Amino acid sequence: MKRWAMGGCMVVFAGIALANIEPPLPTWNGDERTLLEAEGWVAGGSLLAVDPPVPEDSPAAAVSPELDVAQPTAEEVAEADLPGSVIPEKFLPLYFGERPQEFLVDPQGLLSEVDYRNRLEFLKDHSADSSIDLFVYVFGGEQDIPSDVRAEELIERFFSSGRPAAMVYYYLGAPQRSVMYLSPSLTEGVPVAEQRRALQSSVMMAFEKLDPVEQLEAFSVQMSIRIYWMERMLGGQVVTDDLPEMNRMEEVGEAAPVKKSREQWLEEILKVLDPLLMPVALTSLSVVIAFSASWWLNRRRRYRFPEFDVEPRLGGNHAAGIGAVISFASATLPPASQRDQVPDYLRRA
Amino acid sequence: MKCPRCVQKIHRAASSCPHCGFTLADADAHFGEGEVRLRCLTDAAGLLRRGQREQVEMAMERITRRFPQLFVAVYTGSLGEMANMRQFGFWLLNRAAFEDVPAHKPNEAGILLTIDAESKSASITFGYLLDAFLEESDTFESLSRAHSYWLEGKYAAGIVRTLKHLDGVLAKRCRQARRDPDRFGRKVLPPPNMGDLLRRIRAGHRLESGETEVRK
Repeated sequence: MKRWAMGGCMVVFAGIALANIEPPLPTWNGDERTLLEAEGWVAGGSLLAVDPPVPEDSPAAAVSPELDVAQPTAEEVAEADLPGSVIPEKFLPLYFGERPQEFLVDPQGLLSEVDYRNRLEFLKDHSADSSIDLFVYVFGGEQDIPSDVRAEELIERFFSSGRPAAMVYYYLGAPQRSVMYLSPSLTEGVPVAEQRRALQSSVMMAFEKLDPVEQLEAFSVQMSIRIYWMERMLGGQVVTDDLPEMNRMEEVGEAAPVKKSREQWLEEILKVLDPLLMPVALTSLSVVIAFSASWWLNRRRRYRFPEFDVEPRLGGNHAAGIGAVISFASATLPPASQRDQVPDYLRRA
Repeated sequence: MKCPRCVQKIHRAASSCPHCGFTLADADAHFGEGEVRLRCLTDAAGLLRRGQREQVEMAMERITRRFPQLFVAVYTGSLGEMANMRQFGFWLLNRAAFEDVPAHKPNEAGILLTIDAESKSASITFGYLLDAFLEESDTFESLSRAHSYWLEGKYAAGIVRTLKHLDGVLAKRCRQARRDPDRFGRKVLPPPNMGDLLRRIRAGHRLESGETEVRK
């Protein structure tokens, strides 16, 4: 066995040694080198020169591409220098005119219909699972929000009542520009640092994708997760008031299922149980009364044995009913081993 | 029905044990002939404290209340090496005069639980009223309930457990007896008179011979 192993090792090592042998390097032919140097070749010149010299009689030098392209105008140059473009004014009321009817706000139609529906569906699912809604406003990657639109004021106006919400300005293709705001009921409970971390991690997740839509997807998924942790941090102290807008969406029948508060659940359960409450209570009461009466009657029940004439035995006028004897002297002698009754003198022996 | 001394089965109305010849007179010779006056709960061994006595008395009272014909007595004592639990129980229930039992309840209606603190054993003896209804196994099961308590020295708790189980057994037997009293009555029927039996046998022979004559 050992010999086989040693032989195998030797074959393996020999194979490795053969594989490590490199092919020989090419060598210069002296005539060829002299000929090339005479033609102007410099050894290593191609590495040192930025652009290799093109011989004048080469075909590449013969073709000189004179492209007839119009130079950019001054206005175009000025526009290109601008950092971004302002959102067209006609969309501003749709963005900032009222509390959003949907969790995804994209009046410009920057997302395709399918993408919009998918993202909206996700945000609705999030709203169903979480007590903090997530509203995403989608803007173009280069777009800027007009300076007269103040996000804090919008939050105060639209999100100070109703369900707690997180609002995100998301710039399609430029996740790093995203901004997050929390509704007033959350700002006290969630530290700014935590908000910043949530936004940063969402941006990081978005940057793992290349496609802008996929970036938005990754961003919103991560933001949803971070909102869950915010919820945990608040320890269930999230105030969930009635939200007329959401109720309206429910009436339309296309809104996300809104998570209800404990009181709402109780109210609904009571509404359902209200007609059943009295019969159930009466039935329970009668069952309890029946059981109590049965217990009471059983407790008061008197048992009488039929009396038979019994001939006295062994000279005893009153009793000769010899029952069992049990010993409890030792734990090693359980009752099961004493079932066969024997005379006491045998047991003691 | 067993003999208290040899624990062999004996027939109904046996005046003495056919195996060992035991009678009450033998027990009298051992424990005394006179009447013994005592209360239903007699803790001669001092196993029960005051609060525990009340617990035991309540358990005894419960059986007495539910079974108006019966009464329960508990005796604890040190019977010594020579004592025999069965013989002592048999003797005590026949010789005892329980002071706190109404006069209309004879000892035939008694259930006596005896605990020997010295030999650490316990037994149950019952009067003729329960002869048809209680089996040895019933009393054994009742005593078994107390075994673990008595092992730990919790005598009162063990007695209460025993009586509680006995209460259930008695109630069950009473219900059965109400449904089918003959079944229990047969257990204590007087033994057939041998003279009658011989007469029937002879009558049968005569009938057979008569029939033979007719056939001829």
